[in-house]
Amino acid sequence: MAAPRRLTRTGSVLRVTDTGAHITASPISNARLAMVIFLAFESMFFAALIAAYLVFRLRSAIWPPSDLPQLPLAVTWMNTGVLAISAYTMRRARAAQRAGRRDELARSLVATAALGSLFLAVQGSEWARLVGHGLTLSTGMYGATFYTLIGCHGLHVLAAVVWLLVVLARAQRSRFAAPVRVPLELCAIYWFYVVGLWAALFPLVYLL
Amino acid sequence: MLSWWLPQNVSTYGGDVDRLFYLIFYITGVSWVLVQVSMLVFLFLYRHREGRRATYTHGNTTLEIMWTIVPALILIMLGFMSKATWDTIRHTHPPSTTVVQITAKQFNWEVLYPGPDGKFDTDDDKMIENDLHVPVNQVVRVRLSSKDVIHSFFVPQFRLKQDAVPGRVIEVWFEATLPGVYELPCAELCGFGHSGMLGHVTVQTAEDYQAWNKEQWPS
Amino acid sequence: MTSPAHAEAHAAHAEHHQLGFVRTYLFSTDHKMIGRQFLFMALFMMIIGGSLALMMRWELAWPEGNVGPEPNAATRVLLKLFGDASSGDLPIPFTKWIPEPYMYAGHMPPEFYNAAFTMHATIMIFFVVMPILVGCFGNFLIPLMIGARDMAFPFLNMLSFWVGAVAGVLMLAAFFVPGGAAAGGWTSYAPLSAVPTYTGVTWGQNLWCISLIVLGASSLMGSINYITTIINMRAPGMTYFRLPLTVWSLFITAVLLLLALPVLTAALAMLLLDRMAGTSFFLPAGGGEPLLWQHLFWFFGHPEVYIMILPGMGIASEILPVFARKPIFGYRAMAFSMIGIAFLGWIVWGHHMFQSGMNPTLGTSFMISTMVIAVPSAIKTFNWLGTLWGGNIRFTIPMLFALGFVAMFVIGGLSGIFMASTPVDIFIHDTYFIVAHIHYVLFGGSIFAIFGAIYFWFPKMFGRMMNNFLGYVHFWGTLIFYNGTFFPMHIIGIGGHMRRIYNPMQYEFLHPLQHWNVFMTVSALGLGLAQIPFVINFLYSLFFGPKAERNPWHSNTLEWVAVTPPPHGNFGPTLPTVYRGPYEYSSPGVEEDYLPQDRLLSDRPAHAH
Repeated sequence: MAAPRRLTRTGSVLRVTDTGAHITASPISNARLAMVIFLAFESMFFAALIAAYLVFRLRSAIWPPSDLPQLPLAVTWMNTGVLAISAYTMRRARAAQRAGRRDELARSLVATAALGSLFLAVQGSEWARLVGHGLTLSTGMYGATFYTLIGCHGLHVLAAVVWLLVVLARAQRSRFAAPVRVPLELCAIYWFYVVGLWAALFPLVYLL
Repeated sequence: MLSWWLPQNVSTYGGDVDRLFYLIFYITGVSWVLVQVSMLVFLFLYRHREGRRATYTHGNTTLEIMWTIVPALILIMLGFMSKATWDTIRHTHPPSTTVVQITAKQFNWEVLYPGPDGKFDTDDDKMIENDLHVPVNQVVRVRLSSKDVIHSFFVPQFRLKQDAVPGRVIEVWFEATLPGVYELPCAELCGFGHSGMLGHVTVQTAEDYQAWNKEQWPS
Repeated sequence: MTSPAHAEAHAAHAEHHQLGFVRTYLFSTDHKMIGRQFLFMALFMMIIGGSLALMMRWELAWPEGNVGPEPNAATRVLLKLFGDASSGDLPIPFTKWIPEPYMYAGHMPPEFYNAAFTMHATIMIFFVVMPILVGCFGNFLIPLMIGARDMAFPFLNMLSFWVGAVAGVLMLAAFFVPGGAAAGGWTSYAPLSAVPTYTGVTWGQNLWCISLIVLGASSLMGSINYITTIINMRAPGMTYFRLPLTVWSLFITAVLLLLALPVLTAALAMLLLDRMAGTSFFLPAGGGEPLLWQHLFWFFGHPEVYIMILPGMGIASEILPVFARKPIFGYRAMAFSMIGIAFLGWIVWGHHMFQSGMNPTLGTSFMISTMVIAVPSAIKTFNWLGTLWGGNIRFTIPMLFALGFVAMFVIGGLSGIFMASTPVDIFIHDTYFIVAHIHYVLFGGSIFAIFGAIYFWFPKMFGRMMNNFLGYVHFWGTLIFYNGTFFPMHIIGIGGHMRRIYNPMQYEFLHPLQHWNVFMTVSALGLGLAQIPFVINFLYSLFFGPKAERNPWHSNTLEWVAVTPPPHGNFGPTLPTVYRGPYEYSSPGVEEDYLPQDRLLSDRPAHAH
């Protein structure tokens, strides 16, 4: 009789246990669907910030203002590469998990977390340099939009790294066996989202 | 005096605004009466009685299409009728010799007159707080701006309202048709002194306006 | 197999043994308890929001306690009761305890007046209407109506309530910080809201921003749950077009919330940075743009309006067929008109900004889209009328409120056309006409729907019936005094009465309208008193009402299949199977005038009977 509680966890399970053939099992699990919904929220949040950025960007004749330091292009290009590789290692981790290759799973996850942290460290040090050169949050619209937009992305990378570390810790406890399947899948979706977001923000803020 | 309708209209385009208002008023009024009366009639006719069974129907496509299309047509028509008046008020800029700059601040209207030379940023500019003098039957242009927060320039009798936004200059125009003194409240919340932020528009005949100008710029 | 009733009782019993007080009533993960928690929180907040409204009304009728030269009869009575007849001073009753600088011996200063209407609107919108419609009924009804045992993520659901409660505490805390609560209007237009010196409010406005960001997180969790649950956890046979319209409305509401709130969150974050970190997003002096705030706010704000009315529409669409004993007229048109609103709702935000200095050409396009979005609401109104036509109408309390909803919503909808027309909006923008409009939609609409829903689902929520007599008193008192309070706002709005002014007597052209202000305030006091029977009824019935049977209204939807009140897991050992749409009333196929969604019409016996 305690069964109902457990049954509610995923929709597809309910359908299999409870029904005749009235309804086909949902093609997407609750957890994945929730993740997609959450990412819709995130996308609208960034859309609003990007819209604000574009408002100020498009009406300024000179951008960035000539008296402010230029954004560090070369370092950020490299950092973009770091993030791109992290997406690749995350892909490998997911594949390894699906194939049950535990060692590779462990290696890939550690690599992904390390690359994410490296990205954050480089961003942080570049920011410190920029602040040193006089570009702060309150330095006009240029500073405000830069730090808000890129800062929010940084926070998202940070969240992704923390999440990955939690998954990693749980995975290690079970020696990279089955239980982390769903958490890892979700974390991977989020990771790809954060990397994809950077692919949009980097050209927008640094290159154009 | 019990007043409970639109304030007297004393501007040239105010009549167009009022006509639209009345048109919408009649359309919505008739719709409202129709809906409420049919509802009451249904409630009376089809009230519960023992042994009665409700009509079993899931809808009527023809009816539903009709009551989708009819309101849509009426609304679109209202949209296009409104556009014409809107364009007159906001898109046309009739030529005018009387221009003033009004800068709103917490909690006053700073009215800047260009003086006899008709140009701003000259020595004979004169700022008078909360007091706008304009000639009757002439187009007056007002350049609205604000020093601090958003205010809203509102003269009920002119059917004119426009926010004054810091950081931009917004030009509006009006042509008053009746001399008199009209109140100029702020219509956008602007702080604790919002209530009571009040100027006056004095619409004067050509002679009175001349005389007032002489008084202000004696030379 | 054991009999369903036995199994359910057993299940309920087992659950009670498993969970202690804290897990059952405080940190419950049961969607029904979370729904009730939202209801209690929101009803508490409603008392605060309502009291603020009454204080404002008092101030408007008798500005600064001044009854004027010729007080009318009602004023003279109040003067005798609460004022000083010799000096004509009529302070706000029961407020002498509020210390300076909030109140001066029952007299309200303009600073507090501004805070009062800001907080009244904020509380009513974010902590009353949304928590009841979305938080309470969304939580309570979605799993029961679609035939699920709980939400997809019960723990997240619990978190959603408690995060929402934290937001509520933060919002109320704003009253107690130096400088007082936020006073920039619920729209908090920048730059007024962006620079503390413009209002004199420091932490009050910051807390306002933070509270709404936190509430956004709570709503996000709710939306994730609602959408996932509706997509993935419908009972066998419950196709999308067999969903009750309430579920449809809550589904669309959840989608709108999900996509609108992050925009507000971003705007609030920028506003906070402007206030606390020295940025100038909305400050022209630093290169910022005040209208950006309005665009972002209303991009959220307009969907928000539909977030607050769609569930009301869904609830009315639920109650009307039950008591007209008739299928809803045009089920698909009802569903598709809500879907239409969900799409069109994103392209009409500019109609709040016709006089803001936005490009007038943009104004024209927003006007046209706004005219178009009125069509789905018209369809719904006509379909409600069609539902009544040919019915067998029972005037129960929920039905009265649902009918009141339709009648009042029509007024709110029609008055909206005035401000959709850009030239007419020039005049009525920022006047009491707008205040009348939003109260006809949000009070006449949402709150009437809320009352209807409480009377309708109370038996299922709390297992007891509410008292009919008190219900009638509540309904008629509310309907009459509500119209007395808000209908004249149209009239004074047409007279040019600005909104958000503290003392109308400062304007000569408003003097002839002042008697309306007195009339509205007296009606508002009546409206407040009319809620007392509701409070008594609610609290009394909660403990002493007659026990409710499983399906007291003879309704078709699945929540009435569950026992009353539904146990943990809702439906006993097997979930109901759905064979038809939710509104098969007076079907010729059966003898009774209703045909539940889960009853199998064949040689096999019915499922739950």
